[in-house]
Amino acid sequence: DREKKRRKNSRRKEASSSADREKELQPRHKKTERSRRRSAKNEQETKRSKRDEEGRGDDEENANEDEEVRPESLSPEELEKLKEAVDEKKKLIQSLRGKPWLMKKKLVTLRESQEFVEKYEGALGKGKGRKLYAYKVMMTKASRQWISLDTNVSSIYCHFGSSVASYFIFLRWMYGINMILFGLTFGLVMVPEALMGRPYGTIPRKTVPRAEEASAMDFAVLWDFKGYAQYSVLFYGYYNNQRAVGWLKFRMPLSYFLVGVGTVAYSYMVVIRTMARNANESGIGDDNSFNFSWKTFTSWDYLIGNPETADNKFASITTSFKEAILEEQESRKDDNIHLTRFLRVLANFLVLCCLAGSGYLIYFVVRRSQKFTLDGLENHTWWERNEVNMVMSLLGMFCPMLFDVISTLENYHPRVALQWQLGRIFALFLGNLYTFIIALMDEINLKREEEKIVKFNITTWEASLYNGTVSGNFTAPPVTIHPADVPRGPCWETMVGQEFVRLIISDTMTTYITLLIGDFLRAVLVRFLNYCWCWDLEAGFPSYSEFDVSGNVLGLIFNQGMIWMGAFYAPCLPALNVLRLHVSMYLQCWAVMCCNVPQERVFKASGSNNFYMAMLLVILFLSTLPAIYTIVTIPPSFDCGPFSGKNRMFDVIQETLESDFPAWFSKVFSYASNPGLVLPFILLMVLAIYYLQSTSKSYKQANVELKKKLQMVIYKLV
Amino acid sequence: MVSPAIALAFVPLLLTLLIRYRYFFVLFYRAVLVRVWRDCVTGLSREERAYQYVLTHSTPGDPDSILDAFDVWCSKVEYISNIGPKKGKILDRLLMEQSPLTVLELGAHCGYSTVRIARALPLGARLYTIEMDQGNAAITEKIIRLAGFDDDTVELIVNPSDEVIPRLRSDYNLERLDFVFMDHWKKCYLPDLQLLEGCGLLGKGSVILADNVLFPGAPKFLRYLRKCGLYEWKIHRATLEYSTGIRDGMAELIYQGIK
Repeated sequence: DREKKRRKNSRRKEASSSADREKELQPRHKKTERSRRRSAKNEQETKRSKRDEEGRGDDEENANEDEEVRPESLSPEELEKLKEAVDEKKKLIQSLRGKPWLMKKKLVTLRESQEFVEKYEGALGKGKGRKLYAYKVMMTKASRQWISLDTNVSSIYCHFGSSVASYFIFLRWMYGINMILFGLTFGLVMVPEALMGRPYGTIPRKTVPRAEEASAMDFAVLWDFKGYAQYSVLFYGYYNNQRAVGWLKFRMPLSYFLVGVGTVAYSYMVVIRTMARNANESGIGDDNSFNFSWKTFTSWDYLIGNPETADNKFASITTSFKEAILEEQESRKDDNIHLTRFLRVLANFLVLCCLAGSGYLIYFVVRRSQKFTLDGLENHTWWERNEVNMVMSLLGMFCPMLFDVISTLENYHPRVALQWQLGRIFALFLGNLYTFIIALMDEINLKREEEKIVKFNITTWEASLYNGTVSGNFTAPPVTIHPADVPRGPCWETMVGQEFVRLIISDTMTTYITLLIGDFLRAVLVRFLNYCWCWDLEAGFPSYSEFDVSGNVLGLIFNQGMIWMGAFYAPCLPALNVLRLHVSMYLQCWAVMCCNVPQERVFKASGSNNFYMAMLLVILFLSTLPAIYTIVTIPPSFDCGPFSGKNRMFDVIQETLESDFPAWFSKVFSYASNPGLVLPFILLMVLAIYYLQSTSKSYKQANVELKKKLQMVIYKLV
Repeated sequence: MVSPAIALAFVPLLLTLLIRYRYFFVLFYRAVLVRVWRDCVTGLSREERAYQYVLTHSTPGDPDSILDAFDVWCSKVEYISNIGPKKGKILDRLLMEQSPLTVLELGAHCGYSTVRIARALPLGARLYTIEMDQGNAAITEKIIRLAGFDDDTVELIVNPSDEVIPRLRSDYNLERLDFVFMDHWKKCYLPDLQLLEGCGLLGKGSVILADNVLFPGAPKFLRYLRKCGLYEWKIHRATLEYSTGIRDGMAELIYQGIK
């Protein structure tokens, strides 16, 4: 490994010397803007390539380091301090890009920090669980490289600024979460049932009914997720309620229930952990003092590597100065506040009208679709059958544009206007979603009514079956009937799962089609019609579209909400979502680079990260509510799913506790779930939350006072 | 076939398009529909109607009142794409700073910009204005003389610009143009610019001002500017004349000379 080190050092020296040589050559020519930018990009690339090199070599180092620091010689406090120093250096490396330093200083600092991290990271891991630590480091680095979106994201950052890049980072993070959810549902629910459960066709619930068999393989039926798709591991109805399956004695219903609960718990944990991490880095926050100084010295984005973006940024900085001057003037003038207030009230009224209109339209369409199902779905065209999904997707796409246009009446600061916009889109999506859910509840109730009738019919049918053979004898030979001929009970859980899957698919299709038409086709038309059109299509009317960050982020969040809502009833949903996100990542990346232009108002998305996380948390809460409600109140169908035959779905936990665990465990559990113990525990948690909240408030206060002192000191110095 | 609910779902989209591009619809109405209707009704061309209005509402010999009358007519009665008051101020400022002695104007149309430039010229300067269309040229001549500028200050040349520019040096004895104002057909900006360069009529520091480079737009012209490196250029952003919502710009080029 000494050889390896020498090789790596020589590689590093080569890279740095090439960078130095480039830097020397550049001043020879006249340093125009473009060449300066090019050199910055080259240095950035060499820095990135250096980091990749270090990354690839790092895990070897971690595994084979035998020299330099002996951790046994350090005391535990020094070890702690060393660990802190290593973490700090790592953070510095990550945040180095955004710092407004000279390129030379950045390179030097990067080199020093990387050397430091290399030297001591492995050493730290040596003391305790070194192998695990090294493995963890290698896995994070491998996962970074595997999702090769990293290079795409950095070029997007370069061209479009931080707000668009933040969307893709958010998308990538969401993809990671969905992979874990997919792993859970696939590995613990779908695969055991497929491998160890009874195969297709053995019991009634796993077979396509005789009446539907003829059309079960049609594409149209499969696209609606009926036919063979319905009677498969993709949906709730296929699962058998046998307590233990296979030679492993795998507890299928328990696993189904726990995976359902576990996905929600994992999602909560991840979201809150990310929020806490973001809150640490969330920065100082803009105060209104020294507004123009901040703008003058900190407006430029040093990562821009593209002339068009630089022009745009220049124009937007000029515009922001003009706006700030105007704002100062207006804040001093302060006239016509009545007109402004009236216009704002008017705008809110129009938005409310639009929301009410969209809510009513969805309600109307849902009622119509219920009427259609009563008539029998075969009599209606495809459009009529998929009306609900289409209307929801279309409204979700068009109403935000209308809100955007209405908000120009209000004359707010752009950041405030964006928050209002996000709030309104949020209300729209929430209204649509909950109308959809209420409609679903109606259908569930219908199915449960049907269930009673079907139960009665089945008993009469069974009686008629035995009637023909028995004539007074008690020992009747069991009649063998093909599972496809057995009359079925209705399965509201599968129906719910199917509705969600169809909604997600129609939403995805609408997004992609809008992307293709609204962005790609528009770009093609603008580019090629421009040669023979009377006005400049690029600068004037259609022009290229901008990337709508807020709309896309909200769409992503709401799609995830729908996944969380439906994942219990359709275990295929996380898999579908993983596929969808995968395609979305690459498609949208390509579309952004190919068809979009940088936004005019390139403002920082600094505080928005936590805002999106907060919205995700709210959606998580709101979308798990209906699922939890249905689990707790509605009895499961008697004829399908892993909980058939039970009174409530969570009875499976009780059953497991009684049969699988020793007797004392269930006694302990019953003591622990005593309200007398639970209530004080909840009280204690509330007190702990209050205490933590007050300490964090006092820390913030201390921060603000320190900042003020710092300002005063600087003021005195200057 | 398609249910009414889906059709209703498109209503927000229509409303959005209508509201977002309302200025373009208004412009279309004023520039095309009103013009066609008035043409049919009165039988005069648009420029003749403008001239009649200016004749009745302005003071002869006073360029300011002529320009004001034009502005009133263009914003209230009908629409002609003169340079307009806001962009005209930018033009005035550039002329004051530059104080050119030889000015070339491509595309006089009604003579609004001719009067505007001539008003801001220093003593002894001369303006050559080129207009292709006979009818427009007649109106321009009348307006210029109404404003009180004589043949020493303003000379009107009635010919297409690509025929005149090569002959400027020989027929009109021009050595160098200090200021060029382009306001004719947008697709002619680039050929005329290259002709000017080719004939050697531009010297170091000559200013060229090209109007309407963003709407209707002259994309090839802008692309050429970015690539060739012969000019220091910038775009003055403003709004389209007599319209508040449509963004437009004027490109100001300063010739640097070949290196």
